[in-house]
Amino acid sequence: MSEPIKSTAPTRAPVYALVGNPNCGKSTLFNALTGLKQKIGNYPGVTVEKKMGTAYSQHGQPLTIIDLPGAYSLAARSPDEAVLRDVLLGRRADTPMPDRIVCIADATNLERNLYLVHQILDLGRPVILVLNMMDVAERAGLVVRAARMEKELGIPVIPCEAVNGKGLVELKLAMSRHDLPLSRHSWAIPAPIAPAVSEIAASLSENDQRAPLIARAEALLLLTDQDSVRVAGSRPLSARTVEILRSWEKRWEGQGTDWAGSLVNSRYDAITALCAHVIERGGEKTGASASDRIDSVVTHPVWGWAVLGAVMTALFLSIFTFAQVPMDWIGDHMAKLADAVKHTMPAGDLRDLITDGAIGGVGSVITFLPQILILFFFIGLLESTGYMARAAFIMDRLMSRVGLNGKSFIPMLSSYACAIPGIMATRTIEDTKDRLVTILVAPLMSCSARLPVYLLLIAALFPSTTVPIGAKVGIMISMYALGTLGAFGFAWLFKRTLLKGEPPLMIMELPPYRLPKLRDVALHMCERAWMFLKRAGTIILGISIILWFLTAYPKAPAGTTDQQQLAQSFAGIAGHAIEPVIKPLGFDWQIGIGLITSFAAREVFVSSMGVIFNAQTSDDNTAPLHDALLAAKWPDGRALFTPLVCITLMVFYVFAMQCISTVAVVRRETNSWRWPLFQIAYMTGTAWLVCLIIYQTGRAFGF
Amino acid sequence: MMTVDLRQQRPRMPLTELPVGATGRVCALDGEAGLCQRLREMGFCESAVIEKVSGVHTLLCQLCGTRIALSDRAAKHVVVELIRGGV
Repeated sequence: MSEPIKSTAPTRAPVYALVGNPNCGKSTLFNALTGLKQKIGNYPGVTVEKKMGTAYSQHGQPLTIIDLPGAYSLAARSPDEAVLRDVLLGRRADTPMPDRIVCIADATNLERNLYLVHQILDLGRPVILVLNMMDVAERAGLVVRAARMEKELGIPVIPCEAVNGKGLVELKLAMSRHDLPLSRHSWAIPAPIAPAVSEIAASLSENDQRAPLIARAEALLLLTDQDSVRVAGSRPLSARTVEILRSWEKRWEGQGTDWAGSLVNSRYDAITALCAHVIERGGEKTGASASDRIDSVVTHPVWGWAVLGAVMTALFLSIFTFAQVPMDWIGDHMAKLADAVKHTMPAGDLRDLITDGAIGGVGSVITFLPQILILFFFIGLLESTGYMARAAFIMDRLMSRVGLNGKSFIPMLSSYACAIPGIMATRTIEDTKDRLVTILVAPLMSCSARLPVYLLLIAALFPSTTVPIGAKVGIMISMYALGTLGAFGFAWLFKRTLLKGEPPLMIMELPPYRLPKLRDVALHMCERAWMFLKRAGTIILGISIILWFLTAYPKAPAGTTDQQQLAQSFAGIAGHAIEPVIKPLGFDWQIGIGLITSFAAREVFVSSMGVIFNAQTSDDNTAPLHDALLAAKWPDGRALFTPLVCITLMVFYVFAMQCISTVAVVRRETNSWRWPLFQIAYMTGTAWLVCLIIYQTGRAFGF
Repeated sequence: MMTVDLRQQRPRMPLTELPVGATGRVCALDGEAGLCQRLREMGFCESAVIEKVSGVHTLLCQLCGTRIALSDRAAKHVVVELIRGGV
């Protein structure tokens, strides 16, 4: 071997990419390196999270760090992996091509992790290999010889425990070096494939302007992966390269050679040889690990279901019990605030705008912050302990009945919190049809924005405090169950009609159990709370103010009642316009206004009800909203919010697609208007139909 | 020759039929190319040692230090030979 080639010192802040398998501790390392100097956004055209941050070298110089999505291979199968590949190959115009790469490998599972590392080494850029979780490996009786590995590969290899912060200084030192060596690594490409690799590489550097080393890596990649996953924002290959690639594929097809398989195998041969040299296994592992013992219960065919059921019940129970005190506190203070404004300001439009529009609208939504925090706390806990993957495993059999696999359960479970992260989580699903089905049904899972609506209507349903909490929780759970059943039903239907396809295969890694990192969960909760409050302060505040104007203008002649004022206002006109459509469901035009405005976001229904019904109470005290609802009447004097109407309205919110943000995400994610429009039509159509059946049946039975 | 003889003495079966708790070594992958590549990249490559932890419809396997769940329809394409455990 000749002397390792030295790369030239970069003049601008060097760009580092963090790359590794899922669950290798990449994000922990990213957080440890960059602290709070992070910028999180999206890659344009795809909803893959783009995380960039700044770390400082030992000499205080800034280093740009890109955290790339976790993947097992550069051969991309999902949009997530496609972004990783495209950034590393410099195919994306929106992201700088990384100068240097930090590969993170889980030391407990080196053989598998080295597959991606091996592909990365082909890229011909300076690489630093971080062996993470050395402590766990040691406990499992594995001795990984980092120094020997460094000698073999010719690149810095740094043992590390990212969770405890061990090895970070060494990593920063390596990242600060101006002269990182290139890898000495070489492996024997199977002889029959070699001419194809060199021909495609030549075409890539000639026609696609790739640097020679990148061209070779990309040629290898093109041969193992037919480049099936293309995402928006990446540059396409030149026609000449595609032509050469096709001709080789055809030639091999004729010969019946499995070129992709032999490439993967020869990589593994090289890795096995390396591992034999650097890993020393201590004696046989003694007994089952803690993870094994937990798994024997949690993934048990019977106990597993019991655990899942218990977890879900605990989730919903705690939403009701723990949230009550902070909710009442917020509610009281909002009412006090409104009263204070009423007493200090002269009566008039401005006072009404502030109390009825701003405080009434936003306040009624903010009350639900505690519940949403509890929900995100639970979801965060399930994710950080590793239980989420077990839930997917247990659900796999059920999901395969409707034609999806267990992996689709994770986006659906996250959709209980919010459909947007749920839909974004579908990007790990390989099959495009399955991904689309999951996106289509995910918003049917009752999200946290529906919680305020359910809670308000349950409060109106059981006005007295003597009703046991079980009844309230029962109704709540049945709403969640209805949404979930709906999601499964529609998934089954779509897989059989619109998006026919083989039931998918699941191959999924279950991460070992970890103690939840409460700091991460808390950070996530704060992020969510802030987003919620920001939305309450912007969109919901805006809509509340606009709605107040629409209910207050045009002004009726003096002397008319508040009810008449609302009826002849702009909002009243719109509500009346849709009343014929919703009257068969038992909804009047005032509820109609709520349905229209809550298309922006479901919780707006609550703020709209606050604005509409509080506008009619002219006294100086702000009454709880559910009392105002119970006082509402039809023109003929019948009560508006009968128990049947409350139930019907809840069911409407279970099914109807009432969320502009979700529509926008689905549009971006599917890259067409077709699917979000279809989604609105089928969901709202179902909502109307189911509500019609419930209301009319209920009426027929005399409710 | 030796290795061939040795291998023939061990019963071969799809991973789905490997008894729970037994350990097997992957001999071959016989599915379509795309699936095989995915299996290989997840570590189910020839000569990998797999312990079947549990499962009927969705299998739970221990494979070079990690726990992997895979559906039976993928597992039936993984041919293994029994090396330890089972009856």
